[in-house]
Parts: sequence; C-alpha cells; structure tokens
Amino acid sequence: MATVNIKINGQQIQARAGITVLEAAKEAGLDIPTLCHHPALANIGACRVCLVEVAKQRTLQPACTFPISEGMEVETESPKAVEARKFVLQMLFSERNHYCMYCEMSGDCELQALAYRYGLDHWTYPSPHAKMPVDGTRKYFIMDHNRCILCRRCIRACSDLAANHTLGVRFRGAKTMISADMDVPFGESTCVSCGTCLQVCPTGALIDRKSAYMGREVHVERTASTCTFCAVGCGTSVVTRAGHVLRVEGDWDAPNQGVLCVAGRFEPLYDTRERITSPMVRKGNGLVPVSWDEALAAIAAKAKGNGGKKTAAYVTGKALNDTLSEFVKVFQGKVRATVGTLEPTLADLELPVGGALADLDTADCVLVVGGDPLATHRVLGYRVKRALDKGARLLVVSDKPNGMAALAHRIFPMAQVAEAVKIAQGSTAPVVIYGGDLDKAGARKLAALTGKARFISLFQGTNGYRARELGLKNTLNANGVKVLYLLLGDGELPEKAVQEARRAAFLVVHAAYKSAATDAADVVLPAPLWYEQDGNFTTLDGRKAVVKSAVAAPEGVLAEAEVLARLAEAL
Amino acid sequence: MAKVKVATDWLAACAGCHMSVLDMDERLVQLLDKIELTSTPITDLKHPPKEGVTVGILTGAVSNTTNIEVVKQMRERCQILIALGDCAVFGGIVSMRNFFDMDEALKRAYVETESTVDGQIPCSEELGRPVRVCAVNQVVKVDIHIPGCPPSPDVIYYALAELLEGRVPVLTGDNLKYD
Repeated sequence: MATVNIKINGQQIQARAGITVLEAAKEAGLDIPTLCHHPALANIGACRVCLVEVAKQRTLQPACTFPISEGMEVETESPKAVEARKFVLQMLFSERNHYCMYCEMSGDCELQALAYRYGLDHWTYPSPHAKMPVDGTRKYFIMDHNRCILCRRCIRACSDLAANHTLGVRFRGAKTMISADMDVPFGESTCVSCGTCLQVCPTGALIDRKSAYMGREVHVERTASTCTFCAVGCGTSVVTRAGHVLRVEGDWDAPNQGVLCVAGRFEPLYDTRERITSPMVRKGNGLVPVSWDEALAAIAAKAKGNGGKKTAAYVTGKALNDTLSEFVKVFQGKVRATVGTLEPTLADLELPVGGALADLDTADCVLVVGGDPLATHRVLGYRVKRALDKGARLLVVSDKPNGMAALAHRIFPMAQVAEAVKIAQGSTAPVVIYGGDLDKAGARKLAALTGKARFISLFQGTNGYRARELGLKNTLNANGVKVLYLLLGDGELPEKAVQEARRAAFLVVHAAYKSAATDAADVVLPAPLWYEQDGNFTTLDGRKAVVKSAVAAPEGVLAEAEVLARLAEAL
Repeated sequence: MAKVKVATDWLAACAGCHMSVLDMDERLVQLLDKIELTSTPITDLKHPPKEGVTVGILTGAVSNTTNIEVVKQMRERCQILIALGDCAVFGGIVSMRNFFDMDEALKRAYVETESTVDGQIPCSEELGRPVRVCAVNQVVKVDIHIPGCPPSPDVIYYALAELLEGRVPVLTGDNLKYD
C-alpha cells in the first residue's frame, strides 16, 4: 500500500495515497466541517463548507474532493479558511428560508450546527424571502424547498444508493430546484418511497410526516435491529420515544448500506389493522378474551389423545429462529404432528442458496428467474439496478409481468430459460436470482450455472432460509385434521388458505392482528410485532440477523417461543 | 461608581424576550446594583432619556414605520445597541409575513380571522404603516447580537455581566441558540 506524508494543522500524518484531504484528516482524528459530504455518498464538493488552505495552491480547496499528495501542507482552521467558511454559511442562510425557530429540524440540522460552530450570531445578508413551493404530494414525507440548500445529497442517494434516478435539478444558479423526473410533483414521479433521500437530508427540507415534531435526537432512543419484512434482512435503526416507534431508518453499516424500502421504513407505522392483545376462546358465537392458562388448556383438551396424525401445525416463514426451533421441537418432536410452513421455501427446486447483496456489486450479468425482486425483495431489486448502472447485463425469465422487465437487456419466457442460462455462461461473474414461479424443469436447466454463478433465493418467508434448513414445507392441508395450529405472526392468510384451514375441526390461530383467519378460529393467541421481540433470523444469504425489541409488547402479549413452550407443557 | 444606564424597548415582538429578561430572577436584582433601567416597555418611562444611556436593548422585528422610529431613537440615544432575540437579530417569526403580499396579510389578520366580526383594516394616520419585516441591523448598526427564541436568561445575564466587566460578549457553545 503506497502511502504519502502530509501535514495537517502542523501534525505529521502518513496516509494512504489517493485518499482525500477530508479522509486523511478524519483518519488522524481531525474534524473538518462538511455539509454536502455524506459518508455513504460520492463527494461532489458542492457546498464549499470544507474549504481548507493547501500550501502552494492558488485558492482554497474543498477537502472532500482534493486528493492528498506527498509533502502537502494543509491548514483546516486558518483565518483564511474560517473566513471563507463563514462566508459560505452566510450565503447559504441568505438564500432561502432558514429561520430555525419554526423549523422541524431545529436541533438536528447540520446547517444550524455549523452556524453554531462558527459563531454566526447574525446574518450579514438579508433574506430575500422568496416563497418556494412545498411538495406534499407524497404519502410518507414532504419536500419543503424553502429549507433546501441544494447540497444534492438526496439526488446522490436516489441515484447512487437506491439506483432509482428520480431526482435531479432543474435550472441553474439561484433558480436551481430539486425536481423529480421531468419536473412533476414528487407523488406523481417514479419515486418508490424508499426514503433514502429523507434519511440523508441535512436540513428540514425533507420531513417525515409521521415523526415530525415528535422529538429530536436528544429526546429519542435508537435500537439497532433488522427489518423482518422480507428475507433480505436490512439493518435498521428503530427510533422510539416513550414506548412508541417514531420512525425506522436504515443502518449504514449493514449490508443494505442504509437503504430500506417503503415496506420496511414507512408501512409499519401506517398499519391500521386491529391488534390482538389477549388470548381468546370461542364461546357461543363470539371470541371471548381469556387468560393464557385457559386458552392453552382449551387447546390441550382438544389435542390430547388425538395422536399426532390428527394434529397439524403450520408456521409463517416470518417467524424468528427460536420460534421456528421451538415450533419444530413441540409439534414435530413432542406431538408428532404434521408440520409445515405457510410459504414455499424453494426447497423443491434443489438449487444453491446463499448469494448475498454484495455479490451484485461485482456481477456482470444478472439473471432474474421466476420472481420479481422489485415487488417482493425491493432492496435487492435496487441493488440489481445499481449493478446495471455499473454495466451489468440483466436477463429476465418470466411468464408474468415483472418490475425488472423494463430494465432487462433480454426477456425470455419460462420455457426458454436454457437460452438465458447460455448467455449467463458467457459472462464472468453471473448472479442468479430465482423465485417461486420457477418450476422443477426450469430449475434443472438453471442448475447448469452451479459453481459459476452466485444464487440468490427470493424466499417468500422472511426466515425461509431457516425454514428450509429445518425441512419445513409448504403443504397446508386440513383434510381430516382435528386440531390445526397456525402461527401467522404479523401476517395474514389468503382467503383460500383460510377456507382450507377451516376444514379442521378445531382451529388455533396465533397472530398479532385480527384478520379473516382469526375470525374463523376457535382459539386466538396474540403475537408480538417484529419491533417488540428479541431474537434472530436467517437472511436469504444465510446471515444471522439480530432482531431487537425497540418497544415493549402490549401487556399480556408473550414471545412466540414462550407461548409454544407453555403449550408444550399443557399438551 | 455611577450606575450604568440601560434602556430597553420592544418592536414587533411577543414579549417573550422581555419575559426572559425578567426570568434572570434574583440575578436581575443583583444587576440592579450596577445598572439603572431607565426605560422599558414594562416600566413607566417608555422612551430612553434624551441625555442617553450606555446600553440600549431592542427585542422584536422591525415591521412598521413606528418600529423604525423607535429603532432610530434608541440608536441615537445609546452607545451600545443590543439586538435581543431571533426577531431583532434575524426578523424571526414576524418575518413569515414577508412570504405573503401585504394586503393579503392585513386582510387575513383584520378581516378573515375566525373570531373577527365585521372586521376592517385599520387606516388611521396616527398608526404606523406596515413595512417589509426586517432585522434591526437592516435599519441601524447593531453592536451585539443575541439570538434565541427567546434567548435564555443565562445568556442575557452573561452578555450584561461581560459588558459590565468591559468585555464584548462572544456567544459560544450553548449560549448560541436560534430556537
């Protein structure tokens, strides 16, 4: 590794050649102020806040883009640099509405923090009070152009991280505005509401509707956890205050690199389904709240002496590892019941598993077969789009409309999977993404890429990987079943499955929300939500992802594994 | 030693900054050993004395022609002028009006407000005319700026104590806040 010797603020530093002044300073523990810079985004030197004095350079240079070289001498807080920085801040404050006293972001705003740091106790230039539009056409967050400093972090997050390319600027100079697509309202644009731009905005220009004015960083707590919406297993930071979830943010250090999708970031906070908070037993025509002991005894009374053959139990692939283990231990081990999972585990396809998001970063050919990551595993879909931006080829094999089809270089019907395989064989680092619409015959053809390609499985269940390891299969069949136990977690059953389940003489549904399935049940057991439980699950690439409870479950709601253990005692 | 004369006045303001002055509590009593409050909006004498004061403190934004007169008189009659609070320093909450047409703002305030019956826009010649809202330093030279909405009693005390010691107060750390 080539190194160069430089001096920053008189301090002798040895740093890797090719890095920027900002990076070298950071490694040496020196703090150069920044604004448009964000660690997860490419540097563009737009805001000029990081200007530093570099010896033998004619003008001040932006530390975020200026590469270091042998013998370089840098002053980060020289009078000249500080003067320029203050001037830049004065200009930023004079441009739009940066009155902090009525801004949602006040307290966490990066522009405000810099003004405090450089002692801006008044403004040199009067505000023009130009009235800018506020775009509230998106469901989950608002764009207030009045607070925008045009740092372009949102644009870079949209194009470089989410690879969605919705955002850009229109006009130039003082008239510059962030805009979507060909300047349409954000709500009518190609925006997918992944919210990555919201997370990187340094000011109050992008505002989350749900958590606005609910508390600043000093008031809230953060819990590092994992989204359980799909098998990608995105790292999250769950922001809570006084036992309530305010919002969910992406973890920059996790494999998803800060990116989440609408289902993980926003939708959990908009769930209006009715929560189940107590065990219930059918008495007469209705379900009546009862104690855990009574509910478990009611199940045991029906199940005892039935023999395993007449008992069946199915679990959602969303369940955490210890829930799945306990489920198998109780129902397969103790009761000897028929067990299965509510979603397909792709085990029948006999294809490799374990491909990861990072494999896409080096892929030159992506083969999407029998599934649509942009519909079911969105962050994986965004990562495929990133690979395409870097020049990878996309082959889509599907008989159904597919969200990735518009981006594909070639589209094949399922019957022609062999042709797509042939093309992939000619590439250097192919990645295969396969889902539940792939049949066994197609899978056998796809298997030709084993050894050459990385295989990413679109498990329908979040913990499909572990369900598959445990040998659970998707075979819901209630024919002749006396006692049927269904663990749904926060999910629901399709109508057909509810009808099938109701064929059982006695139906137990363990779920977080009221649904057609719980309405049809004889006993209902309450389940916690993902942010109310502790444990882990196995992601589609076989990684053990940690789930942490950010808030307590409602009183009376027990962890799923604990309920299963208590049920085992009762049986 | 003679007491240092201090005068205060408010412009377009919510009075919160003056409340914050009063919130210095017993420290205000201590200060009164060294300073004399000649005129304030909350005492009998409303205008700074003709012979002048050492320190003039203005809160609130400049929003009409009367405010401009008050600002100019204070500047003429004090040696050190302090703009206290976000409205005096930046224009503050009051400057939200600038984002609207003046007629629109007047109509909203005097005619359209939900509790108003048969409202009309005041037009007496004795009243000041509304102007585009601005900070005090857009009208006269300001020597010391203390932002905050309102500034905390601590920072007000700090600034006055520094002045009494003959130093120019410099706001750093938690003393510099915009909200």
